[in-house]
Amino acid sequence: MGTTPYLVLSALLFTVGAVGVLLRRNAIVVFMCIELMLNAANLAFVTFARLHGGLDGQVIAFFVMVVAAAEVVVGLAVIVAIFRTRRSASVDDASLLRY
Amino acid sequence: MQAYVPIIALAALAAGFAVFSIVAGALSGPKRYNRAKLESYECGIEPTPQAVGGGRFPVKYYLTAMLFIIFDIEIIFLYPWAVRFDSLGVFGLVEMVLFILTVFVAYAYVWRRGGLEWD
Amino acid sequence: MTALTRQVTEIQSPTIEYGLLAPMLVVFGAAVLGVLVEAFLPRRVRYPVQVVLSLGALAVALGMVVTLADRVEVAAEGSVAIDGPTLFIQGTVLALSLLSVLLFAERRVDPGGDAFASAASSLPGSEDERTLTAQRVQQTEVYPLVMFSIGGMLLFPASNDLLTMFVALEVLSFPLYLLCGMARRRRLLSQEAAVKYFLLGSFSSAFFIYGVALLYGYAGSVRLSDIDRAVSEQVGSEGLLLAGVALLTVGLLFKIAAVPFHAWTPDVYQGAPTPVTGFMAACTKIAAFGALLRVLYVGLGGLRLDWQPLLWAIAILTMVVGAVVALTQSDVKRMLAYSSIAHAGFVLTGMVVVEPAGISSVLFYLAAYGFATVGAFAVVSLVRDAGGEATHLSRWAGLAKRSPLVAGVFTLFLLAFAGIPLTSGFVGKLVVFLAAWQGGAWPLVLVAVLASAVAAFFYVRVIVLMYFSEPAPEGPTVAVPSPLTAAAIGLGALVTVGLGVAPAPLLTLAEQAAVFVR
Repeated sequence: MGTTPYLVLSALLFTVGAVGVLLRRNAIVVFMCIELMLNAANLAFVTFARLHGGLDGQVIAFFVMVVAAAEVVVGLAVIVAIFRTRRSASVDDASLLRY
Repeated sequence: MQAYVPIIALAALAAGFAVFSIVAGALSGPKRYNRAKLESYECGIEPTPQAVGGGRFPVKYYLTAMLFIIFDIEIIFLYPWAVRFDSLGVFGLVEMVLFILTVFVAYAYVWRRGGLEWD
Repeated sequence: MTALTRQVTEIQSPTIEYGLLAPMLVVFGAAVLGVLVEAFLPRRVRYPVQVVLSLGALAVALGMVVTLADRVEVAAEGSVAIDGPTLFIQGTVLALSLLSVLLFAERRVDPGGDAFASAASSLPGSEDERTLTAQRVQQTEVYPLVMFSIGGMLLFPASNDLLTMFVALEVLSFPLYLLCGMARRRRLLSQEAAVKYFLLGSFSSAFFIYGVALLYGYAGSVRLSDIDRAVSEQVGSEGLLLAGVALLTVGLLFKIAAVPFHAWTPDVYQGAPTPVTGFMAACTKIAAFGALLRVLYVGLGGLRLDWQPLLWAIAILTMVVGAVVALTQSDVKRMLAYSSIAHAGFVLTGMVVVEPAGISSVLFYLAAYGFATVGAFAVVSLVRDAGGEATHLSRWAGLAKRSPLVAGVFTLFLLAFAGIPLTSGFVGKLVVFLAAWQGGAWPLVLVAVLASAVAAFFYVRVIVLMYFSEPAPEGPTVAVPSPLTAAAIGLGALVTVGLGVAPAPLLTLAEQAAVFVR
């Protein structure tokens, strides 16, 4: 079986994530969409590693996973902090900073 | 077949440890029952009809979960190193010790700042 | 089985050139030590220990960068490039970080202590927060955080493969997301800034890593030199290459705040604690320009004809939007944010020509811009009223009558931003525009000069406001800073004038540094 279906899936996941970031209102959901984009990149890395017959792509996927985990921690800390202040995690409510 | 001996030995060791733990626990532990323990899906918490706090979790769960993720994900780097442990030699060992020490610094910070206390 | 064994023995331990990596190792080491200080030392000694540790490590690292000058090598199995642009940018970032840490350590201008919340986890407006403030509890976690961020900034322009670059990008970003949300005053604003910065920042880094994935698919490697080779040999599918380059540059352009990826800048610059804003505006931008230079020149030089028109468009947009929108701002920090966007456009003008003159002019401009920026934000942190910093422009009316010195220094920085002769900004603009002109990008230079004129208008407007308006009756006071902030402002002003009067040494240095290792 060829690798094309995996690449198509990866592109689809990335698009779903990107569209989700733009359309969803809850900061947590937006954040989950970003994680989806990172995982789409991981899938692409692993597929390309298979395509090129190397291991680089798989190792890179490890690093991306670690970065994503650190991002979860930082991101949730920031979102929890503002949720406790505002009692809401909607990105629309965060509107004090305007022209 | 020769190559599978270590795997079989490891499987036997793991199974033996599991059996030993259960038997030893059953023989040596005290047996006290209360209502919570007799509930179905017993986990030490009595079930309530509705979710407590409107289905929201206290923030301390978040802290523990985050700590788990961080320390869990560091394991990723141990696997490739363990596979190539022989050929990486002293260099690999030293680098890995440095890596684990760095992670341990974070652990020490969490511990000293009370991140491991539940209440 | 035998095949497997052979493969295993082929793997060899990598060689790491610790000497070449020393500046980064020192900074990261100090950051880790800083975490230990937070864990084990009693609260009252943490502040002096952290400040000395951070400043000491930065000074040592700066010294090491100086001793490394003239080295042109790759280190750590080719994943880190130590060459002229790397060392120049590392030196600049370290010098500016020193000034920024001085501002972080300032504890005299705010009655509550430093610029950071007593505990980031305390609820704004809660009893908890009031008690902590009353007890003058100060948090010192900001020092390890900023050191980690600086370490990432040192690695970012030095990364010779895209994976290292991605990790460096995240290492420099994560602490900044947290630092943005830690202001002592106007905490809700600050937390909003942090959320916005975090969501948009990680959105852009997701684009970056997907671009890296596509380039890896194209070239079979993430090493910049391998990508360059693949581009010149035209192997693989062009669609992958172009899509990858586009996504990758989006991630980088976000960090330098180029239009149309600039939307976060004014909000984050306004909401973040002012020392953090100064640090971000100067150091992040410089490090990100270094990375962009390396990617475009070393990795994608063969693709020049494809990315040059795009960069033209972005440079023009960035300059025009930055300068024009700054006109309508009524908040000092927002105005400086739009001015930093416009400056990103000017720097891009110098990058469009793929020649050593372009590189050296960009390097010089970045250094000149950085010192003026840190100084300007330091001045902003001094003008205060009961609620904290008085950042609304109307409050700055007649400031020269209250404090001629502060108004004078701020005027100097504004003139440097505007590019008036005898300041560093003038020389910076001159070399960048000259390089672009000689590279044949004269329409771009024309737009840049027009944008500079528009920008000069709003800088001068602030100067007029400070000198020729009547001060408001209960206007803001100018806090008397401790020697820390005074030193940061003084050094910023000194370099700004120095580079304007005698730019030759730094220009020569930048010219010598304008060679990338491949």
